[in-house]
Amino acid sequence: MGLKSSFMIAWRSLSRRKTKNLSAILAVTLGVTLLVGITITTDTLKNSFITSIVQGEGEVDLTIMNVTQGGYLSITDQETLSSLVPDALGVMPELSTDVPALIASQFDPKMTLSGIPTAYPSAFGTFYNWKTGEPIDLNSLLGDNKSILLSSDEAKTLGLTEDSVLPVTLTTEFTNLSATVTPPTVPLSDWMVNANFTSAPFVLESNNTSLSLEIQPINFTSVVTIYTIECPPLNLSNYSYVNVTATGTPNAIVRLGFSLDNQSTLDVANLTSVAALDSSSFNLSSYAGRALRGDAYLTLVSFDGNPASINITEIAFETITQNGTHRVPIITYTPEISKVDLNVVGIYDSNRPGIGSQYKGGIIRLEYLQDWLSLKDPKRETDLISAFLVSYKSDHFILEINQDFLRDKLKQVENSIPEQLNPQTGKEEQLYKVTSNRLDYITVAEFFITLMSTMLTALGFLITLTGILLITNVQLMSVEDREFQTGVLRAVGANRGDIFQSIIIENLFQGIIGGILGLFGGLAFGQAVSIYLVSLFGTGDLSIQPVISQEAVILSVILGVVLSIVTGILPALRASRVKIVEALRGIKVEFKEKSSRNLAALGVLMIIGGIILLLNNGIIDTSTQVFWSSEGWDTLAEWRFLMMGFGLLTGGMGIVLSKFIDRVKAFNIAAITLWVIPSVLFVVAMGNWITDITGLSLEILVLGIIEIMIGSILFVALNLPILMRGLRGVLIKMGGVKGVAQISPSLISSHITRSTLTFAIFAVILTLNVLVATLIPTSLGTAIQLEDDSKGVDMVIFLNKPEAIIPGTNYTSELYKLDNRITDVIGFKTFSPSQDYTKYVSLSDPTSPDFDAATSLLPIGLGEFTTKEIRGNASNYLDPNWRYPFFLGDLPDGVREPDLSELSDADLEELSKKGWDDFFNTDYTMAAYNVTSGLLSIFSGETDLSELDILGGGGAGFGGSLEDPLEGVATLKDNDGNVIKNPIVFTDSFILPLGLQVWLPMNTTNGIPTYQAFTVGGSLDNQRAGGFPLAASLSIGSDDSDYQSLLGTLYMPDYWANQTNYLGEANGKTLTSREENQYNVYLIKTSLAIDDTQLEEISQKIEKFTNTNGEGYRLLADDNFFVASTSLIYSRIESTLELTDRIGSFLQIYVTFGLVIGAVGMAVISVRNVSERKREIGMMRAIGFPRSQVILSVLLELVVLGVIGLLIGTANGLLVSVGFANMQGVSLVIPWKDLGLYLSVIVLIAIGSGSLPAFVASRIPPAEALRYVG
Amino acid sequence: MKKTNQNETDSRKAILSISGLHKRYNEGKSNEVHALKGIDLTVKKGDMMAIMGPSGCGKTTLLNMIGHLDKLSSGKIIIDGVDTSALSDSKMTAFRRDNIGFIFQLFNLFPFLTAVENVETPLLLSGVRSGLAREQAKMLLRELGMGDRLYHLPNELSGGQQQRVAVARALINEPAIILGDEPTGDLDSSTSAEVMDLFRRINRINQQTLVLVTHNRWIAEKCDYIVHISDGVVSHIEEGIVNSGGKI
Repeated sequence: MGLKSSFMIAWRSLSRRKTKNLSAILAVTLGVTLLVGITITTDTLKNSFITSIVQGEGEVDLTIMNVTQGGYLSITDQETLSSLVPDALGVMPELSTDVPALIASQFDPKMTLSGIPTAYPSAFGTFYNWKTGEPIDLNSLLGDNKSILLSSDEAKTLGLTEDSVLPVTLTTEFTNLSATVTPPTVPLSDWMVNANFTSAPFVLESNNTSLSLEIQPINFTSVVTIYTIECPPLNLSNYSYVNVTATGTPNAIVRLGFSLDNQSTLDVANLTSVAALDSSSFNLSSYAGRALRGDAYLTLVSFDGNPASINITEIAFETITQNGTHRVPIITYTPEISKVDLNVVGIYDSNRPGIGSQYKGGIIRLEYLQDWLSLKDPKRETDLISAFLVSYKSDHFILEINQDFLRDKLKQVENSIPEQLNPQTGKEEQLYKVTSNRLDYITVAEFFITLMSTMLTALGFLITLTGILLITNVQLMSVEDREFQTGVLRAVGANRGDIFQSIIIENLFQGIIGGILGLFGGLAFGQAVSIYLVSLFGTGDLSIQPVISQEAVILSVILGVVLSIVTGILPALRASRVKIVEALRGIKVEFKEKSSRNLAALGVLMIIGGIILLLNNGIIDTSTQVFWSSEGWDTLAEWRFLMMGFGLLTGGMGIVLSKFIDRVKAFNIAAITLWVIPSVLFVVAMGNWITDITGLSLEILVLGIIEIMIGSILFVALNLPILMRGLRGVLIKMGGVKGVAQISPSLISSHITRSTLTFAIFAVILTLNVLVATLIPTSLGTAIQLEDDSKGVDMVIFLNKPEAIIPGTNYTSELYKLDNRITDVIGFKTFSPSQDYTKYVSLSDPTSPDFDAATSLLPIGLGEFTTKEIRGNASNYLDPNWRYPFFLGDLPDGVREPDLSELSDADLEELSKKGWDDFFNTDYTMAAYNVTSGLLSIFSGETDLSELDILGGGGAGFGGSLEDPLEGVATLKDNDGNVIKNPIVFTDSFILPLGLQVWLPMNTTNGIPTYQAFTVGGSLDNQRAGGFPLAASLSIGSDDSDYQSLLGTLYMPDYWANQTNYLGEANGKTLTSREENQYNVYLIKTSLAIDDTQLEEISQKIEKFTNTNGEGYRLLADDNFFVASTSLIYSRIESTLELTDRIGSFLQIYVTFGLVIGAVGMAVISVRNVSERKREIGMMRAIGFPRSQVILSVLLELVVLGVIGLLIGTANGLLVSVGFANMQGVSLVIPWKDLGLYLSVIVLIAIGSGSLPAFVASRIPPAEALRYVG
Repeated sequence: MKKTNQNETDSRKAILSISGLHKRYNEGKSNEVHALKGIDLTVKKGDMMAIMGPSGCGKTTLLNMIGHLDKLSSGKIIIDGVDTSALSDSKMTAFRRDNIGFIFQLFNLFPFLTAVENVETPLLLSGVRSGLAREQAKMLLRELGMGDRLYHLPNELSGGQQQRVAVARALINEPAIILGDEPTGDLDSSTSAEVMDLFRRINRINQQTLVLVTHNRWIAEKCDYIVHISDGVVSHIEEGIVNSGGKI
């Protein structure tokens, strides 16, 4: 016999033994489905998460802008830029601006209006009609400068629906610069007498055409002085001469002069006669660079004591050029906001792949937006481009995101930008700046999902383990199965090789079929998960593509197939060694482990490995001073080696000992040690010894969980006979199940391997299920605690712009009037710099030569805290009557304590109040520290996100740390060696660490801000009551991912805020300046509890009051461009929890997939079990087992195994969770409900998968069953 | 034992009477096999009867019919005065548990239960307290000479020992009738003789009725009489060597 006969035997066995083959194939299928499915799911989740974040980028890969902040490019740049990106599919100019938008009474204060060419490159995709889904023809729709298209997102914001009848009028505002042309002449009207320098009667006539002055002297010292303050502020560089036209009496002597901007004066005539004044032109060349301050004076004396007079008809500043003499007028511009009615002619779908997803606001033809925006340019320049968008691919929505490709392209373009002379700085510089939001977003997203992905991969790995267990289990069943068949084959002359071959061929066949089916199963699973993800993360109509990375999938299939073959080798080997006679006689063949010597050798190797590992880390290799030299086992790195070292050591010892002492005892010792080490880590070490979770890596988690599982499963398996004896003892006392009690427990303990593999599947799955269930705490905490944390604030109102100045009332008073349940309204001023880079915060000294505007300016929000807002009438921290003492997470010098973890809430509040006292104390200064923020350097562009060591911490400054973050950090010193001390600001930003020195723009002179240095002296707690209510909630995936609001806000005390021209009125009134009490954000306290549903009603009342056209506040302010959005503190916390919940439920589904596999696996096992035991069932029936007890005994076996798995899983899951709970300082929430659910699910699975085969078997006539020989 | 010893053979009660028993396999299908074609047979209490016949004549089928391990196609079987062919499956199971003991060629002991556990199982099924059941099982096994093998698993026992355990299991409920399907078929001749002696002893001492299927003439002759089956019908009945005074 040879290969051919082996094939024959394999083929026959495959085609005839259908149930068994099917179950083997099914097991492989399930295992491979699991492997493939989990791989796809993990990849898809990552990708969909990123896709949902970058979907707003449409097909745009790179964006090329002007290197100066807020500067524009021109259309002529397109050619240069196109040559930089030769392999781009499309390059497209774009101009965008934020404008307010009003439709009926629906208002959006900040709609992004983008101008794009109607003939843009096709690589960017197509706009699709929201309602019909048809492509939109831009050319025909955007016909005039009033026609715009709205995105479906914006349409919803503005109250439109798919069925709204178009066109609809959308009112917006554009800034129109109106020019005032002032001739370079001194007005002759409005001259007044200066009584201090006047000593005689006079006659003054001052009007638009002439200025005449007559003096009636009393004596020779008589003098008359007049002045005007209406001089135009001329820049004298632009003028050559002053030309005065005057007549007067010959005895008149005059002095005519102007004040200059540098406190000096310019005298055109200094006691000269009128004739001389009239005839000469005063040369201004020596005054270049000076400017008129605005006042002029004229002094008249009479040199003979008689009345003298002068009549001036013109004082003009003239310029001489080659073309003659000019009077260069001064043109001053005043920005005026003019309301414009636009027509919404179409609405495109912004939630489907295509260019629409890139524009969440509205679009208009590029030329027309250029026209509108040129209105605010004195030169009326229309060649304006914000950016050129570059696309390298046209199918971003369906392809996996390729970071490396993008990074390469970005670098490539960056390096090829030519340097040109920058007219502003006079330096050779790159004039273009290239960014890739797509790449940035991906990197940011990766930052946030790293931990989650670690978790996913760990879970996936462990779930995969169940697939391996399943395959192994079913294959091992063949061991027992094979004996008789093999005996026969050997008897008729097959040799061992033939039998081995035939079984391997059979396994190969099963493996391949199972692998192929599993591949399809896995793909289907991936598809299902994508659908689920769409519903879970609400990415609208955007399709999430399952990511099928070929290598991973092929690897999974190969692994599954190889596994089924490898696990088949053991049965094949055993079968080939069968003793013919014994096998034929059905005598149980006991295989003595031939390899016990080899096994012992393995054990010795493991011991040696363990010892080396334990010694190496600290003793032999002192560079890795891990756990012997440093005090305490308080780092995760130590635990990794502890677990690895002791795991190997005890495992090896168990194996070696088993040669000498009782196997069960030996392995029991090993099992217990294996289980205890990670248990100590999770229960004792984490949270008590180890306080820093940042080093938590995949391998430690997986290692810990695997050891804890192997230990517990091994322990239970070894003691299964004892356990089963106990079970029998209990059951046998119960009437009606005595027969079952006799059979099932014995059956379980007689097939320890099989039973173990079965309950192990459930143990693994349930460990994960319980872990996930306990990791996601779903409790909101008590309302009382929340009320205390939020300091009584129930809701926040955001106004789109600072409240109007209304005589006799203000917004706060109106709110009190609105509802008497409102007990306190605390107004705050905040300011968002938007694109005004003169209001950006600087991270380096703006006066230093190293200052680089491109990397140092941060567009972070600015705000003001006044003592009455926070302290109310309280004078200091000892006074209990504070108005709003919100908790601080980081505290200023002098208040900070080394360890906050032991402090009570009351103590923390007192410390916070001390911090607030320092904040409001104008004499308080705090040292600046040498801190940097990893995140900060990314936002400022110094570091590439990918270079950031996320898990290594790097002082990311998430706030609320329990230890002193500045311990051991050096202070900054100036050139003289003195510690730099600054007034402090507070922040709710997560990127600005405590102690950082920042420069805030204050008032402005000549368009350039004056900067004041501050130290970040404290952060507002970002945990309590969902964080500081004015801070943007940092939930990824939420729609309003406004970059600036995510950055947070820096708050200064009123003393400093009043010196700004955006929170105060430092330079007089401007478009951004604010009067005192002119707030834009309001915190509302009410007499209701924080979770009272009536709050919703109050918030609606406020919105209705503010947001209804021509009524309420809009009427009071006579402005329909006001909009209030309210948010309840309670619902903010709820929505944060909701996201956690969503992620939790995803993980739950993810691990539940394992449970499903477990269920099907159990069904496979039970079918196999029953079919193998037909004969035993026949015997049972023959000696008088009723059918019900036959079924019951089959079910009991499965239920018992399931419940053992459940108990192990629950215990282990809770053990691991305890560690995480301790670490986060929360108490462990035991999910009783989930546990109950699992119990019922397990029992149902067992009953469901066992009852049909058991029922069928019990119906077989015993005579037939008895004839069954396997 | 509860049954009284009666000397008058003719007045002995018929413990088993079969009339017009037919068994067809795959009834109604093309591959229908008519295994039993009308068996009429009466076994009196205390009889030790052998059923013989060539392979495939239906002797095992007949035994299975008597124990209701399979459904009969038509006919009537009355055991100890009960018309078992009219019983429902669950009633029959209980009846089998209490009144019929089985002994098989392959012993059919539960491989995962020890000797004593195998033996006590029928008692447990009848609801006997576990302690009491264990005692009775031990006692019986000791009686059968298995006192030193109580806690051995079947695969740790020799064939004869296994068959003793099987016998003990069949006896433990004091059944009205014991059915043996080639009980010595898997044993060597000396062990077979031991087992047959055991059967005879049980038969004698307890007035236990035994019906044994065998194709071994030597075994059959140790019974009271031999029923020959051929092609699904009883061809003739022959006195056993014991009844015929040792001749044949």
